[in-house]
Amino acid sequence: MMTSVVRGYGSYVESQLLGLGQNTVVVMGTSEYTLTRNDLDYIRGLPEVDVAEPFYLTQAYIQTKEGRKQVYVYAIDYDILNKAIGNLKLEKGEYPSLTDVTSAVIGHFVAFSESTGAKLFDIGDAITILMPQVKSGGKVTFTRATVRVSGIFEEYGGAMFVSPDTGIFLPEKSGKSILHMNSWSGIFIIVKDPMLVDSLVKKLRSTYAGKVDIIAFQQIAKVVSSITGAIDFIAFSTSLSAFAVAVAGTAATMITSVIERTREIGVLKALGFTDSQVMWMIIAEAILMSLIGGLIGVTLGLGGAFVMASRGLSISSGVSKLVIKAPPKITPELISYTMGITIIVGIIGGLIPAYRAAKIPPAVALRYE
Amino acid sequence: MLRDDIILKAVNLKKAYRVGDVVTWGLRGVNLEVRRGEFISIMGPSGSGKTTLLNMIGILDKPTKGDIIIDGVRVSKLSSKEMAKLRNRKIGFVFQQFNLISRLTVYENIELPLVARGMKRHLRRRMVVDALKMAAGDLTWLKKKPNQLSGGQQQRVAIARALVNNPAIILADEPTGALDRSSAKAVLQTFVNVNKHGQTVIVVTHDPEVANCSNRILIIRDGIIVKEEEPCWDKCIINTVK
Repeated sequence: MMTSVVRGYGSYVESQLLGLGQNTVVVMGTSEYTLTRNDLDYIRGLPEVDVAEPFYLTQAYIQTKEGRKQVYVYAIDYDILNKAIGNLKLEKGEYPSLTDVTSAVIGHFVAFSESTGAKLFDIGDAITILMPQVKSGGKVTFTRATVRVSGIFEEYGGAMFVSPDTGIFLPEKSGKSILHMNSWSGIFIIVKDPMLVDSLVKKLRSTYAGKVDIIAFQQIAKVVSSITGAIDFIAFSTSLSAFAVAVAGTAATMITSVIERTREIGVLKALGFTDSQVMWMIIAEAILMSLIGGLIGVTLGLGGAFVMASRGLSISSGVSKLVIKAPPKITPELISYTMGITIIVGIIGGLIPAYRAAKIPPAVALRYE
Repeated sequence: MLRDDIILKAVNLKKAYRVGDVVTWGLRGVNLEVRRGEFISIMGPSGSGKTTLLNMIGILDKPTKGDIIIDGVRVSKLSSKEMAKLRNRKIGFVFQQFNLISRLTVYENIELPLVARGMKRHLRRRMVVDALKMAAGDLTWLKKKPNQLSGGQQQRVAIARALVNNPAIILADEPTGALDRSSAKAVLQTFVNVNKHGQTVIVVTHDPEVANCSNRILIIRDGIIVKEEEPCWDKCIINTVK
């Protein structure tokens, strides 16, 4: 169960990160550094860079039939969005022109209810976006902006940086004019070759010396891969302990069974069963017992894995919260591996009791009360 | 060399049991020759060595000294596997407490010696049915569990299990000890019938009415066969119980 859930999350996170493009890097401005045209020109001038475009990003709320809903509003060049996020397709409508600053493409779960699937917004509908702003003294006020739905994305699934399903995507120019943001949130960079990502990141880190956040999805994927690998190893180590307990349990059960059936074993020997036939009979029983236990365990494990996975993995950072709902990675190999271990448990656990049963002299076994 | 008509021979059989430093002799030198087709009873008081002797000649236990020859095969030369094979092919056991396996059906109990022999399933059916008929059993019992049968019926199933492999020798240890007289008579009638078909029967018993059904009665005392008596057929339980 643990292995399938860990592997499920691991492969989900990796696929999402790599889905954003192995050659995608994002430079994010911080409270101490504001990205400007100079930064954009500098980045565009680097030999590793194919395309670099600035974007605006803010968290906001919209009013729907189901009440207030949290969304992410992006003002970004649609071309770079499509380059960065593979498989992002329009379900309906079209991309607005670059100058049409009040038209937006909305994510699937902005247009439809996540719980009921009911339509909330359609092409041509107006959406009022409420953007919170913290004033001095901690007072929060909302800035309003109204946009028209020009297109709706197909459902994409969770993503680590961009949330297409809960996003509202405006042309880049809307950042200033509609969202009233004074500076870019970040710069999206497409690197010429995934092999050049490390070199570019090194250069950017050297230039900005920690003043900006640099997100390289390829590198995150590597880190995630190594973390899930480590968790997988921990799960494997834990399963080794469970293996030892299972072997001891099987052995104890079979020893008890052999003791209780000593007389029966004597009868079998009197009827002509050989020591090896008796031994294999006990081992076969131990394997059968382990297999039944294994089948029950796998069934409960599968149920548990799906329950755990359905609750999702919640990642919070400040006010942002991302819930990853990845299906557990249950493969025929994993089930075969589990059942294989189960058979080994049966064999090892049954070996000593079986040997003991095989070596009982028949006359002694028949006298056993 | 054994004469062809000798199915079983015990030569100076001794069996010692050691508890700590104390050695107790169960058998003190038993010599015995059993001809093919004989029906022998072994009688004696409790602790005289009757069951020990039966275990030796049934290859369930190894003698401390001496040897057993079964149908020309010297048992002391055999490996554990060969002993099991000899038991399976040449000997059928009937126990006082039936020793049927309670979780198996009557059919499955009877076919056990054939399973041990490695016989294919489709060949076993006919042999199981024939053995149960020979043991005067009812074919409706085949699907039942032993605990659904009476003691007498269970013993007939146990006899069928002993007969199913058509062994040369049937060894029975107090086969009527747990039965009423009517059931005991039925069991003895089965042994007599089996013996008439040429199988050698050796019965250990306390009951003179059982011993009188045989051809020869051996009296054992303190681990030695002390005398041989002539049975009296009129006093056999088959004749005394109406």
